[in-house]
Amino acid sequence: MSKNNHTEVIYGLYNDEEDLLRAVKLAKKDHLEIYDVYTPFPVHGLDPILGLEESRLHQAGFIYGALGTLTAFLGMSWVFTKDWPNIFGGKPYWSVPAFIPITFELTVLFAAVGMTVTFYVINGLGPGVVNNHLDDRITDDKFCIAFDKSAVNSDKAEAFFSTTGAEEVNSKTI
Amino acid sequence: MNQYTFASSHRNVLLGAIGLGIVCLILTWMGDDAYHTRFWTNFLHNSVFFTMISAMALFFIAACVTAYAGWHTTFKRVWEAYSIFLIVGLVLLAIVGLGNYFHWHHLYHWADDAGVEADPILKGKSSFLNKNWYMLGTIIFVGAWAFFAHKLRSLSLEEDLVGNSSFKQHKSMRFWAAIVLPIFGFTSAAMIWQWVMSVDAHWYSTLFAWYSTASAFVSMIALTILLIIFLKNKGYFTVVNDNHIHDLGKFLFAISIFWTYLWFSQFMLIWYANIGEETIYFRERYDNYPYLFFGNLIINFLVPFFILMRNDTKRKFGSVSFVAIIVLLGHWVDYFLMIKPGALINRNHALGHGHEEHGADAAGHGAEHAVAHSSEFVAGFTMPGLLELGTFIGFLGLFLYVALTVLSKSALVPKNDPYLDESIHHHVI
Repeated sequence: MSKNNHTEVIYGLYNDEEDLLRAVKLAKKDHLEIYDVYTPFPVHGLDPILGLEESRLHQAGFIYGALGTLTAFLGMSWVFTKDWPNIFGGKPYWSVPAFIPITFELTVLFAAVGMTVTFYVINGLGPGVVNNHLDDRITDDKFCIAFDKSAVNSDKAEAFFSTTGAEEVNSKTI
Repeated sequence: MNQYTFASSHRNVLLGAIGLGIVCLILTWMGDDAYHTRFWTNFLHNSVFFTMISAMALFFIAACVTAYAGWHTTFKRVWEAYSIFLIVGLVLLAIVGLGNYFHWHHLYHWADDAGVEADPILKGKSSFLNKNWYMLGTIIFVGAWAFFAHKLRSLSLEEDLVGNSSFKQHKSMRFWAAIVLPIFGFTSAAMIWQWVMSVDAHWYSTLFAWYSTASAFVSMIALTILLIIFLKNKGYFTVVNDNHIHDLGKFLFAISIFWTYLWFSQFMLIWYANIGEETIYFRERYDNYPYLFFGNLIINFLVPFFILMRNDTKRKFGSVSFVAIIVLLGHWVDYFLMIKPGALINRNHALGHGHEEHGADAAGHGAEHAVAHSSEFVAGFTMPGLLELGTFIGFLGLFLYVALTVLSKSALVPKNDPYLDESIHHHVI
């Protein structure tokens, strides 16, 4: 998620996703505003607890796919009837069955490439981009909850981390 | 409620459906031609359709056990019950097989000895397309499937009673399931060639077995969804929830697309190669059955594709059962379209006003007559009529009667299955 730069956060690291899930539930119950949660892999059931809405990436994917379908089908129809009509194997110029495999392939290609690019753009990823990691270990084996210090004060956050069994508590400006 | 009781009201409804089916079969028989072709095609069509559904249930149990799958465990008794129908299917198809010997019907051109003698193509195929192979194949192969279905179900029931952490029964099921898969893979193809593809005896397609099996697979998943939702509405299967329906919906979606892929692969290669003896199959359907031919693609591909594409339509019982009903009927029509056109040509040939005869006519009016004949509407062949629908309801009633009777004999949710806990806690989103 791209956030504003220079946010001062306090974060706790957990060893286990079950501890993390319990902690997130408690934070929600205590109305502590969570800045973000970082995990090395998708933790099952985390999204509904955090109240994240369903990604709209697949809707974009459908549109890209439909664009691919139209591009391939209309493109081939134009080429083989108007632009450069050729007879292949005694078939009519406009041979729909022969267009279907290519239409299918362009649909998949457009959807796949379009979704990948959209995903990268939304998340601010790309070649040469430097990302501010809170901690390198959250890409390996640690589960992290971060609070924005301006929303949740440090004492409250530290008390929360100690009651929920965080291994380590740090602060960082990202 | 983990013990299903087959309520007498449901029993009566299903018996009524069977009665309707029998009445429709009798009515079909009475208003039929000399060979009773409409009766026998309806009988073959529905027997093959429901036998294949129950065979696919056996196949899918075996595939899930072999793949160490756990999601289906809570409702696997439904598939076990479906697969027990194989023994009924064996009897039904053996009746068709006996018909070959006693000339009760003229469904298959290859069963006509005089015709085969005069026909070098059928003579070349006669080592496989003959009455003995048809009969023995049906009895031995379907018998083997029925045996495997019984074996897997009895192991599952034994596990309910004496299963413990050594998982002896489950290990034994893995052994049997691994045997089922290759045997079923080859024998189902051979039987589909005999039962369905050989109606068009001159024609063949190497994709045909895959295509018709995918059709049966979709129907099996659709019928599973409908029965589970019905039982849930009656208060059973409380542990089966929208996550399991979601996975079944994914199968309905995926196998519908797989079916379309196979349908199109078969069609496009034949269309592109444009070899007369291959294209005749599609020419016949394209010219004389255009509504069914294109409607087949719309209801079996476009409807499930666009409705089930979203996440939530696969989870909502209303939308998923709507698609299941459409697709079940759609694949029944798909089998209709595999059998009826060829059977109609065989009938016309046998009754002595086939196309071949007109070809012998030297005068031009013969060809004109043939064209006029081929586009004329034949009740029960050109379109499924009310009698076909009634017969379908009858066979569906018989299938469900057998399945529900089997289901009422044991606990609905298995006990002691190693994957039971995984299945109860199955979550997909």
